[in-house]
Amino acid sequence: MPGNLGRTSLRAVIDSLEVGVIILDSEQRILHSNRWLALRSGIAAEKMLGRSFAEAFADVANSRLEQAIRHATHDRLPSLLSPALHGTLLPLYQTPEDRRREKRMQQMIHVLPLHDDSPASCLIQISDMTANISRERLLRQQTETLRRSTTQDALTGVANRRQFDETLATEFNKARQNHQPLGLIMVDLDLFTAYNTHYGRAQGDARLLEVADALQDAIRPTVDLVARYGGDEFALILPGISQRQICQLAENLRLRITSLAIPNAANKLGKYLTVSIGSTVMLPAGEAEADTHTLLSSADVALYQAKHDGRNRAIHFSLEDGGFKLCG
Amino acid sequence: MLSLSELQHDALGEVFNIGVGRAAASLSQIVNDEVLLTAPDVSLVHIDRAASLLRSSELQQFSSVSQTFSGPFEAQALLVFPESNALEIVRLMLGPHITIGELSEFEQEAMCEIGNIILNACMSSLADIFRISFTSTLPLHRFGDTDNLPVLEGDEDQMVLLLQVDMVISQQRIRGHILFLLSVVSMSSLLACLDDYLVSQGLA
Repeated sequence: MPGNLGRTSLRAVIDSLEVGVIILDSEQRILHSNRWLALRSGIAAEKMLGRSFAEAFADVANSRLEQAIRHATHDRLPSLLSPALHGTLLPLYQTPEDRRREKRMQQMIHVLPLHDDSPASCLIQISDMTANISRERLLRQQTETLRRSTTQDALTGVANRRQFDETLATEFNKARQNHQPLGLIMVDLDLFTAYNTHYGRAQGDARLLEVADALQDAIRPTVDLVARYGGDEFALILPGISQRQICQLAENLRLRITSLAIPNAANKLGKYLTVSIGSTVMLPAGEAEADTHTLLSSADVALYQAKHDGRNRAIHFSLEDGGFKLCG
Repeated sequence: MLSLSELQHDALGEVFNIGVGRAAASLSQIVNDEVLLTAPDVSLVHIDRAASLLRSSELQQFSSVSQTFSGPFEAQALLVFPESNALEIVRLMLGPHITIGELSEFEQEAMCEIGNIILNACMSSLADIFRISFTSTLPLHRFGDTDNLPVLEGDEDQMVLLLQVDMVISQQRIRGHILFLLSVVSMSSLLACLDDYLVSQGLA
């Protein structure tokens, strides 16, 4: 009959499919399974014939696949089992080598009711998702690398200016909503141009890395942020900090850098590399853009004052009374 | 205009809560942790009303999973979450290592399965209690804003059975909606099935 494929060639077609096929009767016995499945499961199709599905694949006991089969045979409803939630549910392997290593393939399983009046009640279709999943994993890793390179300073590994700007805006809004203070510290390496000229840029870069590490070690890792703000300038965002605490921290940072005892023959002020620090704290209330600007310029003013007063010191600028205070 | 009597309203609420309860059991089994699902409210509204309800929600981006069920009546079932809630569900179900800002294919398939579990459970609960049966398409996951959500493209004469669903995973409550879109004819058939059931139980 034209258009009628015939039973034998239909079987041949099912055997040639690049997906796994298992057909169950209403008692969940295997009526047919294809060559794809035999190759990946290591069980010949004849050996599966007539066995109950649960017996052939012990792993399905109490699994979602068992429920899905019941849904198909009892409720006539189709189900999808995603690789994200089930992945390697059935013991199927791409190669005998994978089987020895117990490295199962990633699977997407469709369980479909069959509607005709034949004894066939349920179709289980299994697709190999291994390649898709490794591709997604690779893409995700690349995204993560890219994300890091757009938010991290390549030399020091702390946040870059872009990340600083974003975090400042976010923390500012959070602080305003929660009525919490927000602190900012600026750290500048004293006479660093002279250091670079004396020791060379490679040495200068190495010192920036050491200072960045020292700053990073001094902060609350999940709360605060250290960023490279400019060439030899670092900025620290410090949510929920009080004036007393930020002054202590600023002085503590200054001492930490000095205690690194980095020889600096170019420093007229002493024999080690030192830093000047400006700090400020604000209780954000007004418009974010204007206020972040005030916060930044206040810390800058404090830093400028520290340099003006002779460097190697931490100065706090109080937004409340507009006065400067030497920390420590 | 069709509407639900108090008895019909309560009975449907009970049937769907049995359904989402079953779905919760399946989801709990998958994540090895307790997942709670409740459908605290059922209402029958005109499609325009459902559309404006979704439009008025504060979040405009949606993740939806849909299946079309056919039997004594036809219904397009949709599980709709604001996109950020869908992300949260997937993150809670797949583990905290998921740090994505959007759903990739991998997570979309997971969302599709979660929708499939919930929608199948609702419809099979309906089928069990009414002693009827349905066939269904496989689940389809879509993203969209309120302008291209399938519910809003439908026939103007459609009715919507609207369920609010509350999902609790790891102590976090996530809210979404289930919509069953039915033609007026299909809705009348559903209500007829419901009345038969109520009569058989001596309730009407």
